[in-house]
Amino acid sequence: MIRKSIKRNPNQISWLSNALLNLFFILCSIICVAPIILVILVSVTDEMEILKTGYTFFPKVFSLKAYEYIAASGQAIWRAYGVSLFTTIVGTLLSMLITCMYAYPLARSGFRYKTFFSFIAYFTMIFGGGLIPWYMVYTHIFKIKETVWIMIFPYLLNAWFALIMRTFYKTTIHESIIESAKIDGAGEFRTFFTIVLPLCRAGLATIGLFCTLNYWNDWYLPLIFVNNPKMYNIQYLMYQYLLSIQFLSSSSSFSQSSLAFRDLPSESARMAVAVLSIGPIVFAYPFFQKYFVKGLTIGAVKG
Amino acid sequence: MKKVTKFVCVAAALVLSVAMLLTGCVVAPVTPQSPSSPQDSTAGNTPVAPAKEAAELIWYLVGPQQEPETDKILEAANTYLKDKLNVKINLTVLGYGDPYNNKVNTMLAAGDRIDICFTAGWAADIKANSAAGYFRELDSYLAKSSTITDIVGKAFMEGIKINGKTYAVPCRKEQVHNWGFIIKKDLAQKYNVNPADIKTMEDMEPIFETIKKNEPGTYPLLVVEGEAPFKLLDWDVISDDSIPGALYPDNRDTKIINQFLAPESIAMYKKMREYMQNGYIPADAATMQNFNDHLKTGNYFAICQSMKPGKAAEMTATTGVEWLDVNITKPVMANRDASGGALLAIPTSAKYPDQAFAFIEMLYTDKYLNNLFVYGIENEHYVKVSDNVVKLTDNTGYRAGNGWRFGDQFLNYLMDNEDPNKWEQFVAYNGQAFVLDSLGFSFDRTPVDAEHAACKAVTETYYKQLFTGSVDVDSTVKQMEADFKAAGVDKLIAEMQRQYDAWLASK
Repeated sequence: MIRKSIKRNPNQISWLSNALLNLFFILCSIICVAPIILVILVSVTDEMEILKTGYTFFPKVFSLKAYEYIAASGQAIWRAYGVSLFTTIVGTLLSMLITCMYAYPLARSGFRYKTFFSFIAYFTMIFGGGLIPWYMVYTHIFKIKETVWIMIFPYLLNAWFALIMRTFYKTTIHESIIESAKIDGAGEFRTFFTIVLPLCRAGLATIGLFCTLNYWNDWYLPLIFVNNPKMYNIQYLMYQYLLSIQFLSSSSSFSQSSLAFRDLPSESARMAVAVLSIGPIVFAYPFFQKYFVKGLTIGAVKG
Repeated sequence: MKKVTKFVCVAAALVLSVAMLLTGCVVAPVTPQSPSSPQDSTAGNTPVAPAKEAAELIWYLVGPQQEPETDKILEAANTYLKDKLNVKINLTVLGYGDPYNNKVNTMLAAGDRIDICFTAGWAADIKANSAAGYFRELDSYLAKSSTITDIVGKAFMEGIKINGKTYAVPCRKEQVHNWGFIIKKDLAQKYNVNPADIKTMEDMEPIFETIKKNEPGTYPLLVVEGEAPFKLLDWDVISDDSIPGALYPDNRDTKIINQFLAPESIAMYKKMREYMQNGYIPADAATMQNFNDHLKTGNYFAICQSMKPGKAAEMTATTGVEWLDVNITKPVMANRDASGGALLAIPTSAKYPDQAFAFIEMLYTDKYLNNLFVYGIENEHYVKVSDNVVKLTDNTGYRAGNGWRFGDQFLNYLMDNEDPNKWEQFVAYNGQAFVLDSLGFSFDRTPVDAEHAACKAVTETYYKQLFTGSVDVDSTVKQMEADFKAAGVDKLIAEMQRQYDAWLASK
């Protein structure tokens, strides 16, 4: 760093405000990080200690029983990670492509059927067909139940994301840019892929992050469509562990002769599940963050 | 040229919006297959034997999980069944709670094919699905073959009927219930408590006092959510435990009352208040959950539970703390035993209902088949210690257990740590039951759906505080009474009474 100079930098703030600001943000960070650390610590605390003394940052007896219990399912968990990664990556890419392509004409002033297609998008935000028809479309018409695609297709186009994207195009891309591309001889697709999309990187990152989280956090599609344990994604697998543990530890009549569930690490397992399911996705955040901040501030900067 | 580009763009946009319709919502009405018309209406008349190719039975069952080696078990079962029924079993086990309920209810509603379906009041709701016509009436099968009726018992078969028709066959397990306490063995022995001497809850009070005085760190009584001495009143509820509307459990009359405001219940709330003030119940009882977890700590002397033979031994195995049984109420056969149980239904979407029924019957009669599904394959997943007693091996590939899901539980082998007379005791326990007049009545809540839901909300607001003695009784009961009135409890109970009277008259 720079050596301490006697001359004061005109932009420098006093050491007191500096310290106070730092303190404030350190506190904020602690408030955000502490619960996660607590979750991790509880997940490695001995079950009996949790029951007796409650959650603590300083566990006396460490135990990996919760993880052992989950690991006892063997391959299942790696397979579930695989399914989750596949659906997240493929789903996000496909979904971004479709969202961007749907939103783009809606942002262009010259498009004649703009109102009609906007209406279709708005309409799906307000009205839905209900669970059973929705289910039947995928199972009886597309017949993709029990395939990995069932965890991708239903979330391909989210009207809300399309509208965000449309606004992005409108504020970032000036008509004159497209016009000049046209004058230089670029077709619609070329303009879209080589001029418009690169200029909207911040918007893409925003939508991308939403989609990634959407796919990664999803447990509802497997809950409705997937019966084969080999096709469970990580969130649903964890959800099922939790439900089984909860059901067996809170009902008296059904715990009888349940051979596999004698010493359930229920509290610590709950936390272990949380740790495992946030797993890889935390690494996606720093990647997107750079653009995400830009995406949020872009409107303000442009004025 | 420009026109062509434009056309391409419009076409692309159309394709994309169609994609949106398909992903987001369905506008075009998809005619659902009428659930009352089975996919293959001729299947009902197909005789079992002549089918050349093995009939595939799709079987959905609730459980902890699909066991990793289920395929092996199915292979063994299919080989065994080949000559007997010529069927092929395709079993899917879905997790307790949401996984089973959501999937199976959706499949039933969408008319997806299921040949055998586990159902109960708490899983793929038997009342709702029967009323919607998703389950086949089984009375004609039962009239032809009395095997299941003979094994399960006539009274109980009457109890599981809905509007006079049988939509599912009950698995044979405990068919009656009674309430009592389990108490911690070491403390009971230390203070010379003989469980047989305890006849009422009041008999427990001196013991609670001794424990309170001499055992710091141990609470005499654990009350968690519904696991409360309120259960000792044994209300014969019309709808379920959280809905006002119940009969006295002794056939004294046919008048339905609001059990939460009955004098007996108010006396019970006051008793709990007294216990709380005496320090018998932990102060934060109203917010506790998962009683099994708390029992594991060994910090509690007693908890009110639903009893059955070998209850204490089972709880000892579950919690790792030794317990003794204290029976308080008399065994009663009521609607809660019928709908709270475990049943197997044949949906209307079944392709092979005849074979499905024949297979279900075998689960009640064939000891080998029954135990194959419960314990797995002999010498692989378990070894026989003696003729009827088994020991599990280290192979955890198939640990289904939960034998109450597979027809006749009394056919299950016993584990080496279980009472060798377990099933005889169950038979005796079922035999001594007092049968309530209301057995077989099922309440249709549709005319009073709003009141039903509103009253449930009121109960859920108050029951934990009152059951644990956490609040002043008189003022809270007054408030609850007013809330019930506002929620339409009078209309609800009047409707219950009307339906019950009509049912009694038709009986």
